[in-house]
Amino acid sequence: MTLDAIPIHVVPRHAGSPPPGEPGLSGNAPPLLRELAEQVRRLLESGEPSAIDLSALPLTPADLDWLREKLGGGEIAVTLQAGGESTLDETACAGVWWVTHRNEQGAVTAQFIEVAFVPELVKAHPQDVAIGREQLELLISDL
Amino acid sequence: MQGPLIESLARQGVSRRTFLKYCATLASMMALPPAAGLAMAEAMAAARRPSVIWLPFQECTGCTESITRSHSPTLEGMIFDMISLDYQMTLMAAAGFQAEEALHNAMKDNAGKYLLIVDGSIPLGQGGIYSCHAGLSSLDMLKEAAQGAAAIVAVGTCAAYGGIPKANPNPTGAVSVSDIVKDKPIVNIPGCPPIPAVMTGVLAHYLTFGSLPELDDKGRPRAFYGETIHDRCYRRPFYDQGKFAKTFDDEGARRGWCLFELGCKGPVTHNACATTKWNGGTSWPVESGHGCLGCSEPDFWDAGGFYKALSMPADPLKFAAAASVAGAATGGAISLANRAKKGAARSAHETITLADLEK
Amino acid sequence: MNELQFLTWVRGPGLDIAIGIFLLGVIWRLFEIYTLGRRKDLAAPRRAAGASGLHTVFRRSLPPPGMMKRSPVSYIGGYIFHIGLAVIVFLGAPHIMLIANLTGLSWPGLPAQIIGLVTVVTMAAMLAMLVDRINKPAKRFLSTFEDWFTWAVTFLPVLTGWLTVQHLLLPYTTMLTLHILSAEILLIVLPFTRLFHTFTLFGSRWYNGSANARKGVPV
Repeated sequence: MTLDAIPIHVVPRHAGSPPPGEPGLSGNAPPLLRELAEQVRRLLESGEPSAIDLSALPLTPADLDWLREKLGGGEIAVTLQAGGESTLDETACAGVWWVTHRNEQGAVTAQFIEVAFVPELVKAHPQDVAIGREQLELLISDL
Repeated sequence: MQGPLIESLARQGVSRRTFLKYCATLASMMALPPAAGLAMAEAMAAARRPSVIWLPFQECTGCTESITRSHSPTLEGMIFDMISLDYQMTLMAAAGFQAEEALHNAMKDNAGKYLLIVDGSIPLGQGGIYSCHAGLSSLDMLKEAAQGAAAIVAVGTCAAYGGIPKANPNPTGAVSVSDIVKDKPIVNIPGCPPIPAVMTGVLAHYLTFGSLPELDDKGRPRAFYGETIHDRCYRRPFYDQGKFAKTFDDEGARRGWCLFELGCKGPVTHNACATTKWNGGTSWPVESGHGCLGCSEPDFWDAGGFYKALSMPADPLKFAAAASVAGAATGGAISLANRAKKGAARSAHETITLADLEK
Repeated sequence: MNELQFLTWVRGPGLDIAIGIFLLGVIWRLFEIYTLGRRKDLAAPRRAAGASGLHTVFRRSLPPPGMMKRSPVSYIGGYIFHIGLAVIVFLGAPHIMLIANLTGLSWPGLPAQIIGLVTVVTMAAMLAMLVDRINKPAKRFLSTFEDWFTWAVTFLPVLTGWLTVQHLLLPYTTMLTLHILSAEILLIVLPFTRLFHTFTLFGSRWYNGSANARKGVPV
């Protein structure tokens, strides 16, 4: 059987609809907005941060797009280079951050929506700051 | 967060943030809540490095290959920094009696506390002669090492259930670890080979919480083996719609339709391939166009053929012809008897009914 | 023996044995019935309009005059579940594959959701008939153990098949094993119970029609 005998069709993609073979909205995304509202309320009352693990929920790619679109974009976009690239973007709702972790090959390994004043990974740890201080001292002594 | 681990990681150029990110991803994969990622990070950073002894028996080394499949420097490799791998025949630098001395020292110094990892099945045939090492059969090695172990991890389908050596007709008398060791907690991590992240996830759980994760009735961690491939397969909508590929590389196959008719054992197989995938999340068999083999289930080699769908017979039918002939013969014999009875009744000028014939 | 080994046995030796007994039973009984013969009818055959074996085969597919009003459940329920069974068995994709594997013949089937719907309707019809058999005094009086047994043996494959595809009640592997096992029991039991009407139905209608047609009576 030659390669030509295998038929090839071009399937036109309508804007906004999912690619052929992928399911659309499942209806599981809207309740997450309520959960986020509750978590933001807790953050304001007690200062307690929290997160929603998006990989653990039955969400289709269309659901994730819908969620991303609804939450919108904020003023801050953080790129973290640590064992691959991670992005921590503030959404239009301050305190709600969309966190995407990728490995060195660029594949997405985890996605969270974090509710915090500042995401955990962005904060500098006191021990690392102490090491940074030593580095500064070294630089000063070299002058 | 302090601890020897964080410092040794820093020395290797792995930052604290990389470690935190790794723990968050690992917790997500084990279906733990996001807060557990932080708890895991704190526990792992502070943990003492437990002694781990790895004994390979009747195996193909595929499981070792899978676990060390860390395109360095990746995250699975970090696990090996958290444990003290005191004995591993394939990976260790020492050889000969020096290696054996390391094994016995590790078992003595850490008696009752070391983690024993086993891959490969244990042959019992002919006194265990089919798998020997340093003058001992695998059977004796396992019994000896199991005595001082805190827990045993049976990696790969061979160690967990017998695997390929146990396939019909099992010439070496291969059995699984749990067939031999009865008095220690055993975790089965089946797969041919198992996904590396599953292996390291179980180890991380042990290091963090000091206990084995929740197991199902076949001794597999529920976090990774709780669902079937079919339950999480991305081609499931096609199965539900009845869109199946009929042969490899036909129209349906190219459109990514369900591979049930090509023998996919997804519905009866418990594993994490559909979600965790292989090679760092690159792909997995179904996504590459081949049906699931069911490699994390016991006796999958004898489950009726990789390319026979679950609704098809597993063996060719053997009795059909013989049964038909037997049926014809029985029918023929009874009809002759009936005719004889009818003839006899005729000659005796008596009536005969069906009820009489059936007596 | 764990559940995957049991499933493999049921798909392998189990199916072998069931089909073997089925073929043995069917051929034996067909032989027995058709070699029985009948005494020659020495009277001159008569003819009547609408009286022949073939006429009877079709006429008996309709309820006799007045019976539909007296026992609608028997006829409506009966037709629904027989047609339903035929659709499920011969137009359901996994069954077509089974037949293709055994005989080499194959044909297109219906989508899984339609088969699912047909299955539910079939089960409802069968349950209605069971209830009718319990409630109608005449039917209940006439029913023997064999009647209840053959109802159960026919209902179980339909029920377990539906539960398997819908992923209900038990884990898939076990449910599929039970489905195939119940179908095998049906196969074994079929030649030796009233279920053998599958093979004798048209023959006996034809015989009744032609025997009475000789006497000049359309039945």
